[in-house]
Amino acid sequence: MKPDRRQFLITAAATAAGGMALSVLPEAADAATPELSAWLVIEPDDTVILRLPAPEFGNGAMTQQAACVVEELACDWAKVKVEFASATRDYTGYSVYSVVPQAAAFFGGRSTFLMRVMGLQKVGATARQRLVTAAAAEWGVPVGEVTAAGGGVLTHAASGRSLRYGQVAGKAAALGAVATPPIKPASKWTLLGKAGPGKLNNPQIVDGSLTYGIDVRVPGMVYAALLQSPVHGGRLKSYDAAAVKGMPGVLAVVTVDPDEGRGVAMMSNAPYGYALTAPRSAVAVIAEHYWQARKALEALPVTWDDGRGAQWKSTDQLYDAALKALDSDDNVRIEKLSGDVGDIAKAAKVVEQTYLTPWCDQAPLEPLNGTALVTADKVEVWHPAQNGQQAFWVASDESGMPPERVIFHQTYVGGAFGRRLESDDVRMVVAVAKRFPGRPVHVIWSREEMMRQGKYRPMVAAKLTAALDETSGLPKAMVARQASRGHYPRFADTAYFMGPIPNVRVDARELANVHVTPGPYRGPGYNSYAFIQETFIDECAHGAGADPLDYRLKLLADWPNPGWVKSLKAAAAGAGWGKKLPKGVGQGIAICGWGLNGAAQGGTCVAVVATVEVSKKGALVVRQLDAAFDCGRVMNHDAVANLMEGGLVFGLNMALNEEMTVKDGRMVEGNFDSYPVLRMAQAPKINVHFEGLSGADRYSEMGEPPVGPVGPAVGNAIFRATGKRLRRTPFLKQDLSWS
Amino acid sequence: MAVSLRINGQTHQLDIDPTTPLLWVLRDHLGMTGTKFGCGMALCGACTVHVDGAAVRSCGVAVQDAQGVEITTIEGLSPDRGHPLQKAWVELNVPQCGYCQAGMIMAAAALLKAKPQPTDADIDAQVDNLCRCGTYPRIRAAIHKAAGQAKSA
Repeated sequence: MKPDRRQFLITAAATAAGGMALSVLPEAADAATPELSAWLVIEPDDTVILRLPAPEFGNGAMTQQAACVVEELACDWAKVKVEFASATRDYTGYSVYSVVPQAAAFFGGRSTFLMRVMGLQKVGATARQRLVTAAAAEWGVPVGEVTAAGGGVLTHAASGRSLRYGQVAGKAAALGAVATPPIKPASKWTLLGKAGPGKLNNPQIVDGSLTYGIDVRVPGMVYAALLQSPVHGGRLKSYDAAAVKGMPGVLAVVTVDPDEGRGVAMMSNAPYGYALTAPRSAVAVIAEHYWQARKALEALPVTWDDGRGAQWKSTDQLYDAALKALDSDDNVRIEKLSGDVGDIAKAAKVVEQTYLTPWCDQAPLEPLNGTALVTADKVEVWHPAQNGQQAFWVASDESGMPPERVIFHQTYVGGAFGRRLESDDVRMVVAVAKRFPGRPVHVIWSREEMMRQGKYRPMVAAKLTAALDETSGLPKAMVARQASRGHYPRFADTAYFMGPIPNVRVDARELANVHVTPGPYRGPGYNSYAFIQETFIDECAHGAGADPLDYRLKLLADWPNPGWVKSLKAAAAGAGWGKKLPKGVGQGIAICGWGLNGAAQGGTCVAVVATVEVSKKGALVVRQLDAAFDCGRVMNHDAVANLMEGGLVFGLNMALNEEMTVKDGRMVEGNFDSYPVLRMAQAPKINVHFEGLSGADRYSEMGEPPVGPVGPAVGNAIFRATGKRLRRTPFLKQDLSWS
Repeated sequence: MAVSLRINGQTHQLDIDPTTPLLWVLRDHLGMTGTKFGCGMALCGACTVHVDGAAVRSCGVAVQDAQGVEITTIEGLSPDRGHPLQKAWVELNVPQCGYCQAGMIMAAAALLKAKPQPTDADIDAQVDNLCRCGTYPRIRAAIHKAAGQAKSA
């Protein structure tokens, strides 16, 4: 098979050959073909090379970004190749890729936020204008007489002449500044807002040639296997390198000390800062091959000082501490206060329940890994980052190299779901590699190491209290109390608390003594509060004797964003809500929104109806999920459908299966036997309904939203099938039997 | 120890620890990185290859036990991405992150070889690899599509 340009991404950098399109420094840009801009090169054969800053980890961001450029560039889609923009060049080129003050988002995965879309359209339109201007000069005709109507062809109608982009790209690149022409309105789009296109990198996925972080191969590369303190926050006490030094292939045993000094004396532009990237105490074996490193690590005598985390003997002890904290107002933080909740417990009709969601591991299928080469004057990193700019700065901080001496290569990413966002993984890779300078070190976490050294969706305990209106049955006041370690739960951002319930109080307690490390997990906060809130509202509906769908429709009747009611109705219609079902079969409904940020017209809501069957002995089958959503409009119908389907499966697994537990301070689950993930046979029939779309002028996120409402929809369906109300996840660890 | 392997129609001689899992031999020693590491315990299937035509999780096979058989990896499935499954995968835009998909395709290819017109139950039983992105509905549809193409061809 002929290697394509994208495969050169790694090999080009690896051999430091220069001249490849994915250059790492501006002066090393492809000498043969001048750039139309830092974002764009057109080769003489009409190949269009786009350099785009978003990572690609399953979100489709790479393809979506390309579509935004090509809509304006009017080139042939089949000629488009995409490479990852260099975070190094962004720095040395004065934010050439993070062109608006939302840098975190530019090197992050969101493809359709307005500033990015506008920036990409401008890249395409400006390049097109350069090509038009160059063609006009070539023909000696006014610029206004040259058209670029599509397919990468420039035409002068009056004389019947035409040129391909590749024929004038060199001259276009040499032009001085050109004015950006007007951007097409959405009504004129030919590529955006349509059924596709499919992912640009699909062909390389299906033949196994796509280069993920774990596939990086650099000449002279060695491998490292990693072991970190089994209790988060513990410290390495002793190890015996001599015991393994003679084993085959072993080159070195190195340690990572979180307490040693590190850093670069300059202002960082890391989008998420460094505090979240603190290294863990670790020991690593470096060998010629990974399996040699792994075997030697397993044979290495190591002892640990567990630290204060060892005080937690069991998960239940931690859960009890969280639940107990709900009863105290010590160090409470008020997150939202609107209206007057009064003495809610004394209202005439009160509903009150307590909920708990556990720690969950993102568990992307590509284990954490990365490759770094540290030498006296630079650090070079090849990494599957979720945010390349964050990883770039963390590599600088850990290596002690100023950022202009950090050469960062983004690779494809085998799933992220938040785990690769903060870049603690990059820090660990560089921390190991700097102890073995002069050779590229490829560090691979085993699955067990990755799962037990997680940055988990935080465990959340919450108590919700509602006073129901005696006439309508709707909540007229609600209090939400929560306890967690990690700042993620945000009941304050739910629609119900933004107007539909007039009197609201939300507070939070930080469980400072808990050592288990929290982190972002697909839909941070939302992934817990959607379950808690939508289960509780279902309980309120039940308390009011109302139909769960009608109850939500009434509660949201005056909500200014019509997408919510539309989505509820579309999901219900798709599922045949209200039909008579036998005992043991039930339908449940839930709706929640992600990314509202305080604005009713913001973010994406998803409504889900789950149809489940529960045997008397408690065996659960989720038969079908019907989901409808409103993100405003969609840029790529099939990409959105794919994310909805996958996100529903992800959210279903979170609710059914996922729980990281603790024993003697250590995380227990280490692999997919103890931390199951749904397989084909357990994946329900999924119907994604587009009738919830409001058509509002926004293209809100689609990755996180489907994850939230699945769990509560299934839990509410289990209640209707069995009469059993589930107030904790995961459901499959609970007794669902009924009689 | 000297080990001889037949992979994608070629013979490879290696001097290697005989207990090394086939997965790491493919990836580290032979540079065939299409076969992925996911779990190391034969749980996820990202490392699926064919051994004499049957789907096998290569992380669970010691290299010494992989001699005397014909091994096929994703790199050897077709010379030009032309396997009906590869074509169906692209047509139906199956992947998200894509990391599991080579293993999925290898599992599905073994199934189609044994049973050219599989039922949903066959797919459930034989293609039970993990996809953390949740692309199962599309994987199922793509297997049926590929089976249909093979039938009509």
